[in-house]
Amino acid sequence: MTAILTKHEPLLLEVKGNALDDGPGIRSVVFFKGCKLSCRWCHNPESLSQNAELSFNVADCISGCTRCRGHCPEDAIMPGVGINRWACTRCFDCVPVCPSGALRQVGKPANVAELMAKLRADKPFYEASGGGVTFSGGEPTLAMELLGELAAACRAEGIHTLLETAGYFRWEPFERGVLPHLNAIYYDLKLMDSEDHRAYCGVPNERILANFKRLVELSRAGTFDLQPRIPLVPDITATEENLTAIGRFLLDVGVRQVRLLDYNPTWVDKGPQLGIANKFTELDIMRTWLPRGLAARLRQHLVDLGLEAI
Amino acid sequence: MTFPNTSSSTSSGTEHAMTMAEPTAVKLPPVDPLDMRPFHPDPAVSDAARHSPQQLIVRGLLGLMAKLYTWHPRLRDELRIKDGWIDLVVGIRTRSGSVRTGIRFRDGKAKAMGRIPEAVDVVLVFKSDAEVTKFLTATPTEQVLMTLRNDFYVDGNTSSLNLFVYLISRLLFRQQIKNLAKDLRNDNADRRTQAGATNPDLARQMRERADYRIATSQVDPGVKYLEDPYLRDFSLKDFPRLAKFLNRHLDHDAEVCPELPKLLTEWHRKHGFERDSKGKPWHPVLRKALAYQYVMENRRPIIHANDLIAGTTTTKETGVVVYPEGHGTMIWGELLTVPHRPLNPYGVSEETRELLHKDVFPYWSRRNFKEWVRDHYRSPLGQRIDDRFAVYFDWKTATISHTIPDFPKMLRLGTSGIIAEIEEAMAADSDEERNTTRRAFILALEGLGTYSRHLAAQAAYEAERESDPSRAAELRRLAEICSQVVVGPARTLDEAVNSVWITWVGLHMESTNAGLSMGRLDQWLQPYFEADMGKLETLEQRRAYTKRAIELVGDLMLRCTDHLPLTPDVANYYFGGSSSDQAITLGGVTPEGEDAVCDMTYIFLKVTEILSLRDPNVNARFHLGKNSQAYLKRLCEVNLITAATPSLHNDEVVGKALSRYGYEVRDVRDWAATGCVEPTLSGKHIGHTNFQMLSLVAALEMALNDGWHPLMDWKVGPSTGSIEAGDFANFDQFFEAYRQQVAFLVDRSIEYNEMLGKAHQQLRPTPLLSSLIEGTIASGKDVTYGGARYNSSGAACIGLVDVIDSMLVIQKLVFEQRVVSFADLKRAVDTNFANDPLLLAQVSHKVALFGSGNEDAVAMGNRITKMVQSLYDRYTNYRGGRYAAGFWSMSTHVSYGTLAGALPSGRLAGKPFTPGLTPTPGASPNLLDNIRDVARLDPANMPNNIAFNVKVVPSAHESRERTVDTMAAYVKSYFSLGGMQMQLNAVTSDTLRDAMVHPENYRNLLVRISGYNAYFVTLNKQMQLELIERAEYGI
Repeated sequence: MTAILTKHEPLLLEVKGNALDDGPGIRSVVFFKGCKLSCRWCHNPESLSQNAELSFNVADCISGCTRCRGHCPEDAIMPGVGINRWACTRCFDCVPVCPSGALRQVGKPANVAELMAKLRADKPFYEASGGGVTFSGGEPTLAMELLGELAAACRAEGIHTLLETAGYFRWEPFERGVLPHLNAIYYDLKLMDSEDHRAYCGVPNERILANFKRLVELSRAGTFDLQPRIPLVPDITATEENLTAIGRFLLDVGVRQVRLLDYNPTWVDKGPQLGIANKFTELDIMRTWLPRGLAARLRQHLVDLGLEAI
Repeated sequence: MTFPNTSSSTSSGTEHAMTMAEPTAVKLPPVDPLDMRPFHPDPAVSDAARHSPQQLIVRGLLGLMAKLYTWHPRLRDELRIKDGWIDLVVGIRTRSGSVRTGIRFRDGKAKAMGRIPEAVDVVLVFKSDAEVTKFLTATPTEQVLMTLRNDFYVDGNTSSLNLFVYLISRLLFRQQIKNLAKDLRNDNADRRTQAGATNPDLARQMRERADYRIATSQVDPGVKYLEDPYLRDFSLKDFPRLAKFLNRHLDHDAEVCPELPKLLTEWHRKHGFERDSKGKPWHPVLRKALAYQYVMENRRPIIHANDLIAGTTTTKETGVVVYPEGHGTMIWGELLTVPHRPLNPYGVSEETRELLHKDVFPYWSRRNFKEWVRDHYRSPLGQRIDDRFAVYFDWKTATISHTIPDFPKMLRLGTSGIIAEIEEAMAADSDEERNTTRRAFILALEGLGTYSRHLAAQAAYEAERESDPSRAAELRRLAEICSQVVVGPARTLDEAVNSVWITWVGLHMESTNAGLSMGRLDQWLQPYFEADMGKLETLEQRRAYTKRAIELVGDLMLRCTDHLPLTPDVANYYFGGSSSDQAITLGGVTPEGEDAVCDMTYIFLKVTEILSLRDPNVNARFHLGKNSQAYLKRLCEVNLITAATPSLHNDEVVGKALSRYGYEVRDVRDWAATGCVEPTLSGKHIGHTNFQMLSLVAALEMALNDGWHPLMDWKVGPSTGSIEAGDFANFDQFFEAYRQQVAFLVDRSIEYNEMLGKAHQQLRPTPLLSSLIEGTIASGKDVTYGGARYNSSGAACIGLVDVIDSMLVIQKLVFEQRVVSFADLKRAVDTNFANDPLLLAQVSHKVALFGSGNEDAVAMGNRITKMVQSLYDRYTNYRGGRYAAGFWSMSTHVSYGTLAGALPSGRLAGKPFTPGLTPTPGASPNLLDNIRDVARLDPANMPNNIAFNVKVVPSAHESRERTVDTMAAYVKSYFSLGGMQMQLNAVTSDTLRDAMVHPENYRNLLVRISGYNAYFVTLNKQMQLELIERAEYGI
């Protein structure tokens, strides 16, 4: 239990190469593990906890194979069925013996040198496409030092850096240690009503909005790009009322462009593999794509307010 | 008797194995080219016919056949051929000896026998009893599949086999046709099932791709006249003539054309083949030239309706040319059923069938490359392996082709100018042999000139009778053009295009086209484009002329579709959907090393975009630092719109790969793709770049089995150690065993290739082609004798990645991590992993494969390619050139895959190998890992080029500009990392599934197989599924 009392060693989920949807050009995305928010629709449930987790994809389990069982000191695995999450101590002894990769350790400590070697290998692709490295998660700013170190190392090699953040971070260390090494920030604004924000995302939004305002000010110098993004989650964020509020806020602080992210249901089966229960996934509306008509209407709504919605 | 399965003389494979020194020429036993004594396998083994039930059944069937042919007048008439009566003796036996029987056709009678007859032409040796009856009652397509599965093999003359198959078919064809129709129905039903749910909207999306085209503001320095090099205002709608021709190409079924074989046979029957009418041995080159002249003088000069280009390769709308001295007789057995076969059916008229069966094929049944070698070298081992289809295939059994003629010379001088040059060389040389060859060149050029004049006369004749004045004017212009070219030099673009086409037709009348390529047409036509443009004064005129130039080039490319190669059904499974692969190469640098992109480059790209033809196969050279980003983006856009073409080459790296041969730098810079992707130095180089397809996996199966090949059930290779006996103490020992098996296959296939080379010298020299290749006039040698300035032979090695991955599994799991014993792995492989799901899972998940970004995997790739190239390096070919290894596969990764068992890599039995050297879909979810690993293979070991397939899927939400930018970024990065060649299929698996079920909506949906393009809907089912299962990456 000591791990919880001491400072977390930051963990990474993975580095995803050849990403085309997380910023300009061809990019590598470094996914950090751990987030202070707990959005009900979180697309990366494996990124919520700061701890390493054991993922068990039962579909990949080979029938008749019981190797993991023999290696589990707690007898917590039921091959082909699941894991007794109460008994599992996350020792991960079962992972290397699993022949099919059905058992995986989610979250590993970062080794900056190895990571940089991996990111550097794709430099020709970044250069040919105007791409670079994106930090995403989870919430990268939770590992402020590591984030700053990586971003600085990338910049030192001329690699474009982009941060995807929910904005819930302490300002001073961010401004000092991370911001100087970023070329761009994608900044999520979810719900304008702070109570709603607390209800759906687990934290209030004042800090997020304050940080955003500061970034808007600093971005005027042109040293980095700032782009607000609104995830359109049916019935939660994708309401006219919420978008009106966000739109007014953006106009107030002098931002004219906003990116809308249409909801997709690709995440709903991720939770069970990690033993994370989320009642939300049972709602029909969470299991379908955002209707095109609704997306178009909401875009138009923002345009009517005077924003450019992309 | 020397049946292969009993042969123990396998040590010959290792004799070269340890010598890596200077390349040596293969020493073949001397042969008398006039000696045509047939090789008869001696059936004199004790022939105590056992009276097994199967023996009685087979003998009974043959007896029935004999009776029908002897007594039924119409059937008997099939035995009456031009030279008298068919004389054919066929033996049939099983490997166990349970069946030993035969049938003889002689003097208009047939007789079945209870033993294998004396002086047998061909013996069919069956795996077991069941296959014999199956064969005798099967459709020709099934018989072909039986051949591929090695259910039987053939010992002796394959023309005789094909005649025998014809005689069976003549008895059964009504039922065979019904069965084929049923097969087709089942096949289509299968396609529907295997494709799963489909979506008709996808066809519309595919078509609409052409509706949006990106813009550019950048104009390359070599573009002199085009205001918008992307020509984005033009679409197919602007060219009704081309649209009509395109429809004709897609709608018309091909038909076998009798013209060439008829004329050729006629001349030889009159003037002799081995000896002339006075009994004097013919000089082969001279004989060929005279026969060629006769063909060109007597073939019909045809100007196709509404065409701007004169001349055709056949007398049919879409014709199939039969080359009787090549693989022509392979179609003999299918003459009655070929119009009904499921894949690529051709029409065959009654007259054509009669002509081929009674006149042409009997004359050539032993005067063809394969049988000449069998007769003269007594059925060598290398040939017997080739006949089995499972291990390697030598293209010289059909043709050499695979080169690029010196079109600039023809355009500059015309045949008269070239003849003058030859006469000058003759005057300066007193050597009779050389001057005879040179005289043959002149005869061939004169033949071509005559054909051109006939076309001129035909155009004038039609012009007079034409009622439409604008068409009459076109015909008058055609008459003028054909009076000028090919005899004289070209002066304008329309003359140049006609000269290229007429020469092309002429080359087709001389030798089978497989991969004969047009080279750098953008470079070579640009001067005529500029000359025409220079005469125009107004912008309007220049715009109109631009449109005219697109139309002319489009017409030329469509002319190239006027024929199809003769494809025996076996080729539908071996080389499915391939046309003759007439490659055109664009861009790159000039011989001086400057940016070569010009107006005509973009005109060809426009035509490529609007026509989406499988053939000509368009290739593009891209030179980093010399060629522009605008050009690269246009290449990617055309690739996106057509889904599959052009194929993209890294100019610098191809040059680097060729540097090992010491070619002159200027000539290397003038390289162009031949056939699929292989580099040839334009107009100077006979590189027979596809002399063979060699399965690297077959050698692996042999190394795993101590020299025994499972499908052939034949201990054909050297003994290199038994896994079960524990002969391999470490990985290097096994690698050495593998090397020896590859060496054995390389040795045997090169020996066969050399023999076939000799056969070409005797049977089909190519004087016209020779006159258009630098070096021949000075040397006084035909290109088949090594007269070209540069000579080489190139191999396509199949299944590289499957071998790399298998080797990695053996190295890591068996020898390093020791998680499985070699014997256990072998046992799992032998049983297709049926009892070893755990091991299969481990093999698939625990070893970093080639294409996953793993150092060891890349090192293994370089180790294997280096080993393979070094084996080829030991030889100098019969023309004095070197051998080059390439790693692309046409479509044989599917056919060889169908024939191979499971592999240590976890690839299961019968599954396709990966195309070319493309990583397996399971290697990495990240395309960039694939790209980086392929780019790190050393080009020095791959001088015959590679084919790296990538399937990208444009996102519906992304803008066209962004999609093209991403494609261009992949290509550019891959090239900057040192990658050699790349081909992008921009189509989703779902679209391919829909096309499987609704071919009518996707008539010219192009796909890149491995090197060449095909229309997806013409492919066999296995190939369609292979394309669907390829990894796809969203962009």
